[in-house]
Amino acid sequence: MDALVLNDVRKSYGNREAVHGISLTVKEGEVFGLIGHNGAGKTTTLRMISTLLSITSGSISVYGHDVATEPDEVRKIISYLPEDAGAYKDLTGRAYLEFMASFFASGSEKEAMVQKGIELADLGERIDSKIDTYSKGMMRRLLIARAIMPSPKLAIMDEVTSGLDVINSYEIRDVIRGIAKSGVTVVMSSHNMFEVDMLCDRVGMIDQGNLILLGSPSDLKREFGVDTLEEVFVKAVKG
Amino acid sequence: MTHMTSIIRKEVRELLTPGSVISVLVMVVLFAGLGGLIGGEVDSAAELPSFGFIVDEDGDYYDGWNPYDILCNETNYGSEADSKIIIMDSPYDADPSEIIAEMEAKGISSVLALPDAQTFNESIRNGTQVTMEQYYLYEPTGIFGTVSSSVLSSVVSILNSSLSQKIISSSGTQLDYAFIMNPIVSGGDNVSTIVDGEIHTGITPSDISNEITSQTLMIPIVIMIIIMMVGSIVISSMGSEKENKTLETLLTMPVKRTSIVSGKIVAAAIVGLVYGLAYMVGMSIYMGAMTGTIAGTSSVNLEELGMSLDILDWTLVMVSMFLSIVCALGICMILGAFAKNYKSAQTMTMPLSILAMIPMFIIMFTGWYGSGGVLQVITFAIPFSHPMMAMQALMYGDMTLVLGGIAYMAAFAVVSILITVRLYNSDILITGLGQNKYVQTLTGRK
Repeated sequence: MDALVLNDVRKSYGNREAVHGISLTVKEGEVFGLIGHNGAGKTTTLRMISTLLSITSGSISVYGHDVATEPDEVRKIISYLPEDAGAYKDLTGRAYLEFMASFFASGSEKEAMVQKGIELADLGERIDSKIDTYSKGMMRRLLIARAIMPSPKLAIMDEVTSGLDVINSYEIRDVIRGIAKSGVTVVMSSHNMFEVDMLCDRVGMIDQGNLILLGSPSDLKREFGVDTLEEVFVKAVKG
Repeated sequence: MTHMTSIIRKEVRELLTPGSVISVLVMVVLFAGLGGLIGGEVDSAAELPSFGFIVDEDGDYYDGWNPYDILCNETNYGSEADSKIIIMDSPYDADPSEIIAEMEAKGISSVLALPDAQTFNESIRNGTQVTMEQYYLYEPTGIFGTVSSSVLSSVVSILNSSLSQKIISSSGTQLDYAFIMNPIVSGGDNVSTIVDGEIHTGITPSDISNEITSQTLMIPIVIMIIIMMVGSIVISSMGSEKENKTLETLLTMPVKRTSIVSGKIVAAAIVGLVYGLAYMVGMSIYMGAMTGTIAGTSSVNLEELGMSLDILDWTLVMVSMFLSIVCALGICMILGAFAKNYKSAQTMTMPLSILAMIPMFIIMFTGWYGSGGVLQVITFAIPFSHPMMAMQALMYGDMTLVLGGIAYMAAFAVVSILITVRLYNSDILITGLGQNKYVQTLTGRK
């Protein structure tokens, strides 16, 4: 089944078109990576999928629900993690997870969801500390736990390991692998080609609002006759 | 260029954003306009009011002393005296109800009564003070009563002065000092103020107005502080949510935009109301201590005049305050939607502060009842005005103004929430104004 379908999606900011007719399909359970340089249109695309931005023309459907006409249905099955996202700093990690879980469940179901979030965050006793006192890595783990805890069908993650150290990045990639194994479809963007190569089943490359490449990392490397996805990126952009 | 100069230039460039400059300019224009309007109101309030004069027109007062001529020549009425000083038909010793009926018929709110010439002359020749009666129709508007009672006191003083001169010049100085200085007495129990058809002696409209003002003086300031404080909290919270991207996360949750907006507004309104009550209790203790020390206990008992507030009135004041906070928060949510981050959110509080200050100044300087049409329209249109004037209006029994204000604020709150929900459904919340095509056209940016 198609988890995500983008059909000739365009987005204009005033007189400037930021996304020029992107079409792609992501299969259920797939980890799909969006790559491209800064300002290419990745975040805009992810925000349109997440119902945050309106679509100027074209259509996006998530598990058969149209983003423009059924945003409430789409929000029930997605989880979006913005780049450099924060949390409510006066809350403890546990209180934050409880607050977020309250939008999806109540009673014992909510308690189970929070427990799942606490396990995913793996913050030990610090789960009861104020978020204000968390390091960047701890904050990211809490936010990923928040995103995964309600068992979304589609997880959308923008620059998920941006700014993290080696250990934290490694652990978070491990969490994403686990999510994918459990059947959750993941759409992520990243500037880290090594990460994309390791995690993603397929990759879409956006340049100046256009989708210029689409395929599995191995296919793309073969097509360009190079060893790394980074070289594919450079060759695709610079020619 | 020194390092400090570089830092100063950079800071000034950051602080003087187009938004902050426009806010300051708007404030200057608003205050200038407001100053003009209030100035006009003060000028019109300074006009001498009409009053009724009971005088023996055909009688000859003491030694050619003519009170009407004195008033025409020695007051500022001048050529307007004929139209402003209205000679009453009722005699000095008429029943008060007869005088009240004539006042109502002639549209006069104050009357000064001088005994007939024969009685007057007998008193003067006997060296006893003549009593002038004062009658006031207390209007719920209050402010006119204050003006007229001070005018009548001045009139009595002018008549006293001229009569003293006449007595001294014709009788020498053998008479009692108190009599010579004040051959006419007026005031104290000779003053009758009619409130809702009931005659109350010994108090002037000015006394009533002063008592009401002393009890409600701090309300506009307290409301302004609460509005500015709660508004600042909400706008900053919006800016912070945007900066931390917690708003982006919240907007992708399966929750209706109306629930997000209403939840934020109601929570902040409850906090605002708690702040408000705390401030009012603090202020009332402070004011009680101040007035107790300086002025002592007031002679005016508002309860006797039917002007004290009951539970329903207090409930209406609380409802009015709550709704004004909701309106303020509605405005803040709209303004906050345009904030890019915490810092830019700070400048967004300026329009709210201006809107909170305008009614405070109008109500403290001229009051709702003393304002003219344009000022009243401005005051009514700003939702924060209503709790500022609700207490006074309820004391005057002006339920229409209070209920009208509550209905207006309820409508305003609903409209502002709907606008906020619309903004929450638009791209502006995420992209800010910079990506808006109209703004791009205006600024020429792409």
